[in-house]
Amino acid sequence: MTMFSQNPLMNGPNYSFSQTPTMASGANKEHSFYPYTDNGGSTLAISGNDFMIMAGDTRSTSGYNINTRYSPKVFKIGGTTSSQDDATLVLSVVGFAADGHALKEKLDAIVKMYRYQHGKPMSVKACAQRLSTILYGKRFFPYYVTAILGGLDEDGKGAVYSYDPVGSYEREQCRAAGAAASLIMPFLDNQVNFKNQYIPGSGEGHALVERAKDPLPLVVVEALVKDAFDSAVERHIEVGDGLSMMLITKNGIEEKFLPLKKD
Amino acid sequence: MSSPFAINGGACVAMVGKDCVAIACDLRLGLQALTVSNNFPKIFSYGDVYLGLTGLATDVSTVSDLFRYKVNMYRLREERNIAPSTMANLVSSSLYERRFGPYFVSPVVAGIDQKSGKPFICGFDSIGCIDFAKDFIVSGTASDQLFGTCEGLWEPDLGPEDLFETISQALLNAVDRDALSGWGAHVYIIEKDKTTKRLLKGRQD
Repeated sequence: MTMFSQNPLMNGPNYSFSQTPTMASGANKEHSFYPYTDNGGSTLAISGNDFMIMAGDTRSTSGYNINTRYSPKVFKIGGTTSSQDDATLVLSVVGFAADGHALKEKLDAIVKMYRYQHGKPMSVKACAQRLSTILYGKRFFPYYVTAILGGLDEDGKGAVYSYDPVGSYEREQCRAAGAAASLIMPFLDNQVNFKNQYIPGSGEGHALVERAKDPLPLVVVEALVKDAFDSAVERHIEVGDGLSMMLITKNGIEEKFLPLKKD
Repeated sequence: MSSPFAINGGACVAMVGKDCVAIACDLRLGLQALTVSNNFPKIFSYGDVYLGLTGLATDVSTVSDLFRYKVNMYRLREERNIAPSTMANLVSSSLYERRFGPYFVSPVVAGIDQKSGKPFICGFDSIGCIDFAKDFIVSGTASDQLFGTCEGLWEPDLGPEDLFETISQALLNAVDRDALSGWGAHVYIIEKDKTTKRLLKGRQD
């Protein structure tokens, strides 16, 4: 019986919680419960002229443990059916997977209700503001996630909105989030926004002319996403297994899956 | 944020190319968020060998002086320059001597072996464990960022000019995402019988 007791003091299996009951000098047990876990992983979004790409690895970890090699962090939002075939928005969530899942479900329901009540799909701009409100609504017991919302704006241009866990948000060209954000983001600054790149021989100091910010074609962006994740997998243990990618164009959302290193 | 390694800030990176190596560092010296100096190089030259030191600034100075003394003594006894691989072992044993009261530094060694002409780079932890790498070594408060940029930009067999561009872009873009590093950079391109030192301005914030 003791092995099914769920009580470490009776040699039963441990709780999944980070702290287990400890026996004080008397007979009093001290319990505690921490409601958050970090499930690792990384996400990445890049917008182009008439498309955007959202990507995330599919590994889910707790500590040094791998829970599963396939737990996608990128979701279609607001389609008319459960298959989400006609969705136009994507959401990626990284951090605490349970909160991420709850947030995705909530936003999806709200965007679906919007379509039902207004008879038109929700714009990314509106959805972005709504997501901020949802996150701030739990200001004092936050969804422990870094969210990125993607889609095409009213002009058909690629749109990326990035968030902190309590709803502060900003529209950007590109954003990396999660465990390997610190590895991926400076690479993106350089390769997407051409930071620290100047026209050779254009001058010295303030006279230097920055490299023109020409919009990147889809093939180049896709290659950058793969390179960024291959680099992150190489140096971060919480990133790997698979890469789930969504390409959003005016024709809808194309889903892609690529294997990553499983070590 | 009270880690001795992250009080003063700073970053260093070394890379291998085709018959050449490169080593680069930022120039910032700070006290937590306050920048005290924008001219604090972290690379020191010992004949054919270059040593990059990030971490606690007082230990960076102490350790760089200690190795100046040790390498000078080596040169007097042996009547020749110290080889990069020998320097690596000297650094390792000197740091391990302080196993239970370490210098808070993360050293990087780079150079070309004058006998074989082979490029050599390696890195250490603060107690002397050597990391021999065939590609690149990073250290400092921007090491995460440097791992990302180096892993993304580096490729094998780069010539001196391409290696300079690669290491410069890797360092500049990495330190721009680290609040404790930046304020310009020093880049050394080391070939068998020529070393070029370049000063990069970079973002001044």
